[in-house]
Amino acid sequence: MSSFVYFFKQSLQGFARNLSTTLGSIITIFLSLFIIGVFLVGALVVDNIVKSVENEVSITAYIADDARQSDIDATEEYIQGLEGVSSVTFTTKEEALENFRNMSSNAAIVDELGGNPLPASINVELSDPQLVQQVANEIESSELFAKIADEENPADSLKYGQRTVERLFSVTNYIRYVGLALIILLVFISLVFINNTIRLAIMARRKEIAIMRLVGASNGFIRGPFLMEGALHAVIGALLAAGCIELLRQFALPRLQQSLAFLPISIDGSTFLLIYLVLLVAGLIIGLIGSAFAMRRYLKV
Amino acid sequence: MTEATSQGAQQLRQAAANQSMRSAPDLSTALPALEVDDIPQQGTPVISFDRVSKVYPAQPNRPALENISLQIYPGEFVFLVGHSGSGKSTLVRLIIRELRPSSGTITIANEDLGSMRNWRVPYLRRNIGCVFQDFKLLPNKTVYENVAFALEVIGKKRNVIRTQVPEVLRLVGLQDKLDKLPDQLSGGEAQRVSIARAIVNRPPLLVCDEPTGNLDPQTSRGIMDLLERINRTGTTVLVATHDREMVDNMRRRVIALERGHLTRDQQRGVYGFDV
Repeated sequence: MSSFVYFFKQSLQGFARNLSTTLGSIITIFLSLFIIGVFLVGALVVDNIVKSVENEVSITAYIADDARQSDIDATEEYIQGLEGVSSVTFTTKEEALENFRNMSSNAAIVDELGGNPLPASINVELSDPQLVQQVANEIESSELFAKIADEENPADSLKYGQRTVERLFSVTNYIRYVGLALIILLVFISLVFINNTIRLAIMARRKEIAIMRLVGASNGFIRGPFLMEGALHAVIGALLAAGCIELLRQFALPRLQQSLAFLPISIDGSTFLLIYLVLLVAGLIIGLIGSAFAMRRYLKV
Repeated sequence: MTEATSQGAQQLRQAAANQSMRSAPDLSTALPALEVDDIPQQGTPVISFDRVSKVYPAQPNRPALENISLQIYPGEFVFLVGHSGSGKSTLVRLIIRELRPSSGTITIANEDLGSMRNWRVPYLRRNIGCVFQDFKLLPNKTVYENVAFALEVIGKKRNVIRTQVPEVLRLVGLQDKLDKLPDQLSGGEAQRVSIARAIVNRPPLLVCDEPTGNLDPQTSRGIMDLLERINRTGTTVLVATHDREMVDNMRRRVIALERGHLTRDQQRGVYGFDV
């Protein structure tokens, strides 16, 4: 315990001795962690948006007017049994007309129409939106659906925004990969910086370390202050980053939400706490690994 | 070995206690007089070299040390003499395991340095005090802090440090210079500080590599007196030197090296090289 206090004192001395490099390393870690944090938040926001968009993805199967009720029931049951399907609802011709009347700005149009041109439909909600293509294919190729389909070709009776969905998924996946790559790069940069700072600190105290080894200080004792110093840089950097993200959350996020009201970007506080924790732990690991690497070659007996 | 340690340590403590009211010049008279001429060469050797050779990779054809065998027993005072490049420093660095021999075995206090694990080395060095020609003091620490540093880094308690450091500085006659920085000291004083640092942990073995190499003859004599006093408390002392006058005056055991070979090992020897 007493040596812990000693390490702490020594690392504070190290701060004072190389103030500029210490600040450099703290700022690097701070910026890296800050960007990582902003990225995490951004990723969460994008994820939220993507999820809500993805949830909009559903399949509508239009049904011919002369389809028999028993066939419709059988088809519904079949679709319900498919993988990736969460719920199936049936919309009658009348309901479809009603929906149209409600949605359309000019309800009078509906009355102008003589009969009811809208077909009945089965709406399929998906539990995993990524499976939309697969589910659609299966419905399309089933004989049950072919019997009741509105059009000659069953594929034409299915509507699920094929191209749009594909593009959406490729874009969101792309965003995720780029974010991950950037985070890895930033971690690497902070590692290099901590490594460098600690190496400078060691160079400045080489003579001291030589004497420590001469009088029989154990390697752990020599290493302690430097590891502590690296960890302290990292913790300070992490706290700064967390503070800045908190500020952004308090002031920038509500405005963003206001101007982008149609997108759901609200994230709850516990998620932010988790992000801060992740930043702190990541910083600590970066600091310890960076300084341990820098120490290695100076501790050969 | 352990007996010698505790005995030496006890005597040191005793001596220091006796000294507290006296000034430096009285020191040698106050120390318990051990009949140094009659140190029996028996018991377990503190240092034992068995056919040790050291070849540096840079000079594969010219071994720095070749086939050296020697024993140094507890309580001895030994001079290691030879010209520059004869292998004195290599031998000293082998003892503190800064280097490993190319062949042969070195045993320090019953422990084989060849098979010693790396993490044990710091504990070996706690039992060997080292003094070098260039003092190796930290320039930004005071005399007191320099000596205290040696205890701090091996994890001694603060109250131990606070009693032991002034004691040992009194022993080397620097009780008035505790707060001086190394560059405010003369060469002799700086070397005394480094000796104080070497013995503050009361090691059973003190190894000095050219301790008087930078000092004038007068000051050198003072340093040698100090080393002799330390030896009288039971500490084994090995001094590598090329200070002819010193060796000839003191007439202690002399081990001579010449181009990496052990050429002479005599009791009450002289420097013996023609310069």
